[in-house]
Formats: sequence, C-alpha cells, structure tokens
Amino acid sequence: MSALTAATEASVPKAAAAHLRIRQLGKRFGSNTVLRDLALSVEQGEFVSLLGPSGCGKTTLLRLIAGLMLPDTGTITIGDRDLTRTPPHKRNVGVVFQNYALFPHLTVAENVGFGLRNRKMAAAERKRRVAEALELVRMQEFAERSVTVLSGGQQQRIAVARAIVVEPAILLLDEPFSALDRKLRETMQIELRHILRNLGITSIFVTHDQDEALVMSDRIAVMNQGQIEHFGPPGDIYTNPKSLFVLEFVGQSTRLPGKVLQTITGRVEVETPLGHIRAPGSYLPGSRVVVAARPEAITLGEGPAGEFNTIKATLTDIVYLGAKTQLHFHGAAQDEAIQVDVARLPIGGLAPGAELSLRWRIADTMLFPAP
Amino acid sequence: MTAIDLTAAKPVVRRRVELDPRLVMALPSLAFMSLVFAFPLALLMAKSFQGPDGLTLAGYNRILGDAYYRGVIWDSLTLACRVTLITLLFGYPAAYALTRAKGGFQLIMFALVFLPLTVSIIVKTFGLTIMFRREGILNWLLLNTGLLDAPVRFVFTEMSLVIGMVNVFLPFLILPLYSVMRMLDARYLDAAATLGTSPLNTFRRVFLPLTMPGVIAGSSIVFALSVAAYVTPGLLIGERYMTMSMVMAKAFLNFRDYQLGSAMACIMLAIALVIVFLSSFLTRNLEARGR
Repeated sequence: MSALTAATEASVPKAAAAHLRIRQLGKRFGSNTVLRDLALSVEQGEFVSLLGPSGCGKTTLLRLIAGLMLPDTGTITIGDRDLTRTPPHKRNVGVVFQNYALFPHLTVAENVGFGLRNRKMAAAERKRRVAEALELVRMQEFAERSVTVLSGGQQQRIAVARAIVVEPAILLLDEPFSALDRKLRETMQIELRHILRNLGITSIFVTHDQDEALVMSDRIAVMNQGQIEHFGPPGDIYTNPKSLFVLEFVGQSTRLPGKVLQTITGRVEVETPLGHIRAPGSYLPGSRVVVAARPEAITLGEGPAGEFNTIKATLTDIVYLGAKTQLHFHGAAQDEAIQVDVARLPIGGLAPGAELSLRWRIADTMLFPAP
Repeated sequence: MTAIDLTAAKPVVRRRVELDPRLVMALPSLAFMSLVFAFPLALLMAKSFQGPDGLTLAGYNRILGDAYYRGVIWDSLTLACRVTLITLLFGYPAAYALTRAKGGFQLIMFALVFLPLTVSIIVKTFGLTIMFRREGILNWLLLNTGLLDAPVRFVFTEMSLVIGMVNVFLPFLILPLYSVMRMLDARYLDAAATLGTSPLNTFRRVFLPLTMPGVIAGSSIVFALSVAAYVTPGLLIGERYMTMSMVMAKAFLNFRDYQLGSAMACIMLAIALVIVFLSSFLTRNLEARGR
C-alpha cells in the first residue's frame, strides 16, 4: 500500500517494535566529540523531535541517520535493516532540508517527481503520484512553475511533497520552519503535523525551538553535548525534566540553590537563601541541590504549610504579555530571580516594590543535584 | 556664507548637470578604451571597405570567394572546436577536484593552475617544442618504455598544435568553472542522494546542469582565444596550418595588403561577436529556466 493512499484511510496501525533503533552511536570531528554513545528508539509512525542548543549534535545525528555522514561507532537500524554503512541513496530515508534545497533548474512537478525517476515506473504512474503529492500539500496549481519564484512556505510544501512521494521508511526534517516568519511558521507546524500523522510516516524533526518541539512531537529527545538527556512525551519533559539542563532549556523556571537539611518520608527539606523549601525526593543531608518551580505553578498568597512552600519576595517588575502577565520578584539578598506567571493581576493591582507572599505545591517542586 | 546661500537659491545654479555616479566611475576606462580600441577598430573596419575607387566589398569577396581562404576559416574554427572540447574534457574534472580538495593539496592544485598563467606563452611554447623534438623527452620516454620502436615526429604536427593550445588555455576554463562549482550548494547533492539517486545520476541530473553556466563561460573564453590564437600556432606549426590570425598577420606584415588583412580582421571580429552573443544567450536561457 502506498503511503499516499494511506493518507485517505487516516488511521495506520502502530507496530509495537521500534522502527528506528540507534545504539552506541559516536561521531567525532578531529578532537571534537559531537556524539557520544548515543541510543535512541523510535516507534513506527511516531513523531520525534531532537531538541537542543546549536552544537549539541542534533544535526549530526540527522545526517548520520540519512547516511550523509558515517558514524565512528555504533549501529543504525531501520525496520530490520542495518543501515550503518549503507550509502544515502540506498537507505530510503527522506529529508526535508533547512533551506529546502529544491533544485533550481527544475519545475515544481519535476522537483517532486525527482526521486520517482530513480524507479522503474511508467510516466503516467509517476505523473499521478506527483499530482497526488502536490494535492496533499495543496500546491496542485503550481506544478509547472519554477521553484525559484515560490515563497518560503510554498517551497517548504514542495520540499515535503518531494520527500514523501518516494514513500521513505522514515522522514527527517532539519529545522524546516526556521526560514519562515512567525505567523506562517505556526500555520505550517499544524499543517505539517496533520499531513505526517495522516500518512503515519515515522518522522524525526530537528529543532532548537522548544515551542516547535512541544507543538509537533509525540516524544522529544532533549540533546546536550552529544547525548540525549531526556527522551519522553512533551508533558513529561516539561513537568518532570530529568536534569537541570532540560529544565533550563525547555520553558522558564525559578531556580534556588541550597543545601539538604534532612530527608523524611520521601520529602527533602532544603535550606535556601529564601528559607526552607520542601520537595519530593531523597538526598543525603548536606548535599548541594537546586530546587525549582515553573512560573505558572507559583501563586500569590500564603497556603497551608503541610502542602505548600511559602516564601516572601519583593516585586520588581510586571510584564504584560497578553494572555498572561509575568511577575518578576527578587529575594532579600536581591540576587534570586523568581518568576511568576498569572492569568490576570489581582483586583486592586500590584505595585513594584511590594513585599508579597508566594506559594507553590510541594508536589510541584523539582529537585536537582547542584551542577 | 550668506553669499553662497544666495547663489545657491538662484534657479540657474540649481539647473546643473546631474551626473550618474555609475557613469562617472565608468568614464575613465570608457575614454581609454574608445581611444586605444574603438577608434583604431573603426579605422580598421573602414579600411576593409576601402578600394582604389571608393567603397567596395572586394576584400570580403577575395576571402569568402576563395576556396583557400574559406578553408583557412574552416580550419581555424574546427581547430578552436577541438581545442575547446579537449580543454573541457580535462578542465571539468580538474575544476571539480579543485573544489573538493582541502588544505595543502588544494594550494598545490591552485598553484598548478595559476603558475602557467604567469609564464609567457612564448616561453611555454618553446618549452613544448623542445619536449616534442626528435631527441626530446617525449620521444625518449616513448622509446625507452618500449611503446615505440623509432622516434616519431611531433614538431609541426597538428597534434602538437592541439596539445600546445590546450596547455595554454586550460586555466581559462578551470577558473570560471571552479568559481561556479564552489558556489554550488552541497545540499542539492545531498537532497538528490536522499531521494535515491545514485552518484552518477546525481552528477548527470543535478551537478552538470547546475554547473552549465560555468561550462558555457569557460568554453566561450577558450573558443574565442583559440580562434584568435597567433603565437602558439605560429611557433608550434607555422605555415603548415594556416589560421585566420596568421593570414591576417601575413597580409599586413608581408604583403602589405591592408584590404585583405582588415577584411580578415573584421571576419574574426564577427565570429567573436557571435560567440559572445551565443554564450550570453545560452546563459540567460539557463537562468530563465532556473527562475
């Protein structure tokens, strides 16, 4: 069954076994280790984002999967084929490049049909498939145009059509939205997610934009210094980050360094510059740790001590952002930055300089070893 | 100060000539070229139509009506074609290698392309004659490797002429090709590969068409230089293989037949113009397709 006809049937059964499996992957350029001992398993039909700052190795990982580069160590298998040493043109891995890399000397239809020409296929069949792919990305009427006259969003659609028309085993997308302006980017994210979900095509998506990763993905792999620090669903990444790096890279947070005083029944009491903070976890007394909370978890006012952490802080700044308002506080020593997001300001308003009580649930407090 | 302000307010002062800055920049070279190039060229063209009794096409008649001179034109054109094709055959892969080479190796290759340009054509050509001699290094090599039993005559053959001209003109093809190849985004090739295209087909369907502007630019330079070449054919083969420039030079220097010489010069000019227009037409066509 062709991937394109699958589109009309909407639901594609997910195989339980991992579709893409990467083991012990390593890559170095000279003395610079870009990937070290990296492992990743992606299921059939899953949409996975590789999220990380520039230089974390995410693009290298993508190029290794595509075969545009060879790893120093480790294996890459897709389905039950070991592709570690297979040249790119024999891998059946589709790529949507960052600047789309549409062939400037060919028309839209010739670009989309480019990969099909590598297969023995009647011209009529090829034409039908190209038309089908163009329809999928709603670009039918552009078939005979030159690609160089298209806008960024249109070029992206063609790049996607060109990659999926050959029915790749896996689709790789290298920051495909980075060249688009914000409004178009948001529309294209939703549209692309819709198309790829319907096709049931396994997709791996490289981005440094956390919002993009949260919008698009079934699972996110947060990468740092050549390794995956956290691989999980977007909600898990955000609310339960595995490391301080993940916490800092995805979303905003208030972080307070401190020293563990004691651990009682799965709850740690930490001494911080803003007083004693409790968090779920278990550490030896004396350990250096960082306690953290997301801005929307913190609310104004005091709460019952058995369930909440409460601190006092001075309001320094009010930033109105439309849907929410950011409140910036600092503690007594003036160096701890505390950020609180509220949907709307309390009746009567707030004035910078006021000392207020802030509270958040002990259960919402995150705890990490100090770096 | 006030005096200046007053004169500036006068409409007469405001109506000064506005010079386009681009024109100003081009003016010195334009003046120079019209003096030393366009003016003598116009004289030459006038001379080609000059007869004992006024305007005449006799000069052109003598060339185009004569089988010998038609043969010379034909020989010059086919020679230029052969030289261009062989240069392309050697130059295209060389330009590609130059693009892909890294570090010290690239430096060495660049030197190999550039250094011949710094050596005078006369020196190069005499060098070749020495190499091609009966007791020259080429015959010595062929005899000692057992490829030949008796020395072969290379000097004053068409083969030596073609080899010599390819040698002289190769850099003029490699350099424009290199600049086009270097600008080519490697992601086009990556994209073709990920679409299942073999390296050979990627070359044929992506690399070659996208480097075509460089091929056209480089080969029109080489073709134009070959058609007009005088020194290299003169030294390597002499009058055994007459080219248009040799006929022209002979007419001016030996026969003092200015009508014949200038008519031949104008025919060469026409050929050069055709090459220029053809190549810019082809390039523009390619670009239009790209756009």
